[in-house]
Amino acid sequence: MAEETLVLFKNIRNPKYNKSLAGYKKAGGYKTLNKVFGMKPDEVVQEVKESGIRGRGGAGFPTGLKWSFMAKETGKPSYLVANADESEPGTCKDRELMLKDPHLFLEGMMIGCYAVGCHHGYIYVRGEFFPAIKTLIDAVDELYADGLLGPDPMGSGYQLDLTVHSGAGAYICGEESALLDSLEGKRGQPRVKPPFPAVSGFNGCPTSVNNVETLACMPYILSDGGVDAFKSFGPQNNTGTHLVSLSGHVNNPGVYELRMDVNMKDIIYGIGGGIRNGKKLKGVIPGGSSSSVMTADEVDVLYNFDELAKINTMLGSAAMMVFDEDTDVVQLLHRITRFYAHESCGQCTPCREGTHWSRNIIRDFLNGNGSDEKLKRLDRVGGNMLGTTLCALGDAAALPIQSFVKKFPEDFRKYYAN
Amino acid sequence: MPVFHIDGEPVEFEPGEKILSAALRRGKIIPHYCYHPGMSIVATCRMCVVDVIDLGNGRPAPKLQTACSVDAAEGMKVDTMNQKVEEGRKLVNEFLLINHPLDCPICDQSGECTLQDYSFEYGSGKSEMDYSKRVYGWRDIGTFVSLERNRCIQCSRCDRFTREITGTNEFGMFNRGHELTVDTFTDRTMTNKFQGNMADICPVGAITEKEFRFKRRAWKLKKNRSICTGCSTGCNVTIEHDRNEVFRLKPHENQNVNKWWMCDEGRLTYRIMNERKSRINRPLGRVGENLEGISWEEAYGAIAERVREMAPLAQNVIALTDTHASNEELFLIQKLLKDGFSSDNIFCPLPNWEQIESDFFINTLITTDKTPNRAGALALKIKGDAKNAKLKEAVKSDLKVVFVLGNPFETEHDLQQKIKTAQLVVHIGAYHNSWSEIADVVLPGQHYSEKIATYTNKQHLVQATDIAVKALRRSRPEWQILSELAEALGQNYDFTNINQVFDSMSRETKAFSGLNFDQIQSNGIELAQTAKDSGKKLIKAAA
Ligand SMILES: Cc1cc2nc3c(=O)[nH]c(=O)nc-3n(C[C@H](O)[C@H](O)[C@H](O)COP(=O)(O)O)c2cc1C
Ligand code: SF4
Ligand code: SF4
Ligand code: SF4
Ligand code: FES
Repeated sequence: MAEETLVLFKNIRNPKYNKSLAGYKKAGGYKTLNKVFGMKPDEVVQEVKESGIRGRGGAGFPTGLKWSFMAKETGKPSYLVANADESEPGTCKDRELMLKDPHLFLEGMMIGCYAVGCHHGYIYVRGEFFPAIKTLIDAVDELYADGLLGPDPMGSGYQLDLTVHSGAGAYICGEESALLDSLEGKRGQPRVKPPFPAVSGFNGCPTSVNNVETLACMPYILSDGGVDAFKSFGPQNNTGTHLVSLSGHVNNPGVYELRMDVNMKDIIYGIGGGIRNGKKLKGVIPGGSSSSVMTADEVDVLYNFDELAKINTMLGSAAMMVFDEDTDVVQLLHRITRFYAHESCGQCTPCREGTHWSRNIIRDFLNGNGSDEKLKRLDRVGGNMLGTTLCALGDAAALPIQSFVKKFPEDFRKYYAN
Repeated sequence: MPVFHIDGEPVEFEPGEKILSAALRRGKIIPHYCYHPGMSIVATCRMCVVDVIDLGNGRPAPKLQTACSVDAAEGMKVDTMNQKVEEGRKLVNEFLLINHPLDCPICDQSGECTLQDYSFEYGSGKSEMDYSKRVYGWRDIGTFVSLERNRCIQCSRCDRFTREITGTNEFGMFNRGHELTVDTFTDRTMTNKFQGNMADICPVGAITEKEFRFKRRAWKLKKNRSICTGCSTGCNVTIEHDRNEVFRLKPHENQNVNKWWMCDEGRLTYRIMNERKSRINRPLGRVGENLEGISWEEAYGAIAERVREMAPLAQNVIALTDTHASNEELFLIQKLLKDGFSSDNIFCPLPNWEQIESDFFINTLITTDKTPNRAGALALKIKGDAKNAKLKEAVKSDLKVVFVLGNPFETEHDLQQKIKTAQLVVHIGAYHNSWSEIADVVLPGQHYSEKIATYTNKQHLVQATDIAVKALRRSRPEWQILSELAEALGQNYDFTNINQVFDSMSRETKAFSGLNFDQIQSNGIELAQTAKDSGKKLIKAAA
């Protein structure tokens, strides 16, 4: 039976916890930051590397490595930007952190800023998250009032400012380079890479973009003994606890903090309380709507980066969407594909045309106009977006299409074979 | 220079250069839409995919790469023609066509459309798309161009043009996903002076020139390389014509002069090339109050006879020219005056002019000097000043013979009245004007689109035009008229082509010494000795 391991949610799970600065400090907050100010930035990066933490935004890139890539001695300022755009369907973990324990995230953000030599960090928050934006702004105000932000936090002499910036409601602005364009006041569209943000990011300066949850892990990792403890929460290369957004036809949906060596079955049937109304499991979308779908037979697997990659899907943002035997898979795929057609920025050809076209084909099935030929075509159009686009949104649209067609062909056929 | 391989052939590249740019320099074709050498790289059309079979480290790239955005590297091996690449292109082309109207029969771009060409070359020839297409209305977006958004392939070249090239930001991409489209901001039309370039760089028929709309199929047009004479910049152009009618000017790339661009005003000068009403179409001689048609022999004979009657002549012979005259024409009329009359009384207007300084290169193209050869006149030391003071001084004496080339000093009416009283006024030019009205003999010259001539631009670059359209039957190029006139007046010039005139000029003048006509025809050559221009003023571009 899976149980929560409380690192990030330690305060949140405490019913008496007060998320104000005073409350956070009372729970031991900002002690790690004080310790970090006594370290050299390189040492901080080294510890983060050793912890093995991989980014929680979706790509799972090692955070320590990312920070070590930051161009140095460029004569330009360096930036750290927190990616709080959380819009991957099914994902709702960053929102929990920002709303319920903003200072944990902010302390992590400040540690990150110090590590990469950033004196002005930006928090790019999804535009629809009004309460989270307000909470963050209030928390940042508290920090300025306390002197924790400004010219001399904790007597460190390390000038540090934070700005909360609200997005305008585009999924694509969660992609890091589109996020930076948007932050610069431009139309949010992914940039050509290279150059990567670590070389040329915000306003052409070295920039690290990190997910909220990734940053929220920092106060723990850099606390005394934190690296070893963090490593102990999962198999090699899949260290730490992570926040799992569990949704769909389970009895107990929610955001849970789990180790990385928990079996998916245990998540669904243990902590998730099993399938609603005693129904049977049909499949799971394991890592946000961009990941390849899994069938009920495949869920006996450890829920982490490497194990899911082995079976050709991915952990992504750790958003598990569970669906039962009554689910209309074609409708589900239609919903997902409609999302990508709506959210594609449109600049590159396969994604702009392919997302919309595939959505039209799926709609044909729903309208009773499906055929074997169209099923083949759907698979082909999906495949033509895979690996052919500028940013990963093309892949994100292609993977569900291809995996649904492959794993649930009968569901499509039901719509036209009578 | 380091080397990499495209389809087995070694290709040199500059460090940092992209695969596509190195390939194009080498004349290797890799189909592409969004890439333009003058603008930032966006790598969005995905047409330029190539297979990097060796990254230079012995390993292949995991998937097809966009040649426009990937750096060439020492030892890299690139395939541009294998099956993987062909499939990659085919899928992009299929996507581009699913919403494309394919109205080639009524599309002005047809024949010079890369979408059409690539679809033919790399497309599959059939479509599996059976939904209705995306449809937008036609938009009037500017003074010079119109927008047919249905044909747009969202390559964003136009968008980057007003951001990066003109800096006017009047145009942009709107909406997202499959509704992504280009437009001006609500209810506005573009006012920048370089809109025609947007039609040039638009790979399809989405942005087209209003002037050219529905006038001629592109494949009918014959093209001659020339230069624009609309101002002293001398943008390199092709004159595009069919059946002796000119339809448009297009910029021709010259990195030293205009890069890829030209201004709309320059494009509009094509109109004058088709102008017939005001042309002088045969030699004319004054009989009483009227000008009457005569033959070339009669014209030259009449001039020679009058000059003989008045001999000896010297300071009372002058020549007036404008700076539309070519280097050779200026040289010849100067030579004629010197050899025939020992006179150096040749004058041209040299009004002050302004050169814009700007962070956006394209703004520096247009100058307020609307003539192509001021620098040539200065180099040849033709007399003149901003206020025409020198000429006014010369006109005070008793004038006997006046040669007028083109349409100089057209607003100096008092001067004209004075000159009218000279014994003999000879006008040489392509168009009727106030000089031909008062002239005793009128000799029909040619427009620059009808002759070969060289002009010296504001950078002291000597550039050549080419014969694009047939001249009027009874006209002659000015260099020929001047040399025949000299012969009639007893000189032994014997020039039979423009090269000989140019050679003579390079022998006899300091400014053009050492220059060779053949070298000029490709990209122009800078004068070794440049003349100072005191009438030039630098002004900052308005922000
Ligand atoms: C289409 C698209 C949308 C994305 N949306 C988000 C997002 O909402 N939040 C996020 O943290 N990362 C998102 N990412 C991933 C970011 O590009 C980036 O990898 C991440 O912010 C890096 O942070 P990390 O290293 O901490 O994971 C998205 C990526 C793509 C391609
Ligand atoms: S893949 Fe889609 S979202 Fe990404 S850049 Fe291309 S069009 Fe935009
Ligand atoms: S843009 Fe090209 S392909 Fe499209 S209608 Fe015009 S000529 Fe044809
Ligand atoms: S109008 Fe032409 S140049 Fe502009 S995006 Fe469309 S196809 Fe490209
Ligand atoms: S030319 Fe390379 S992607 Fe368009």
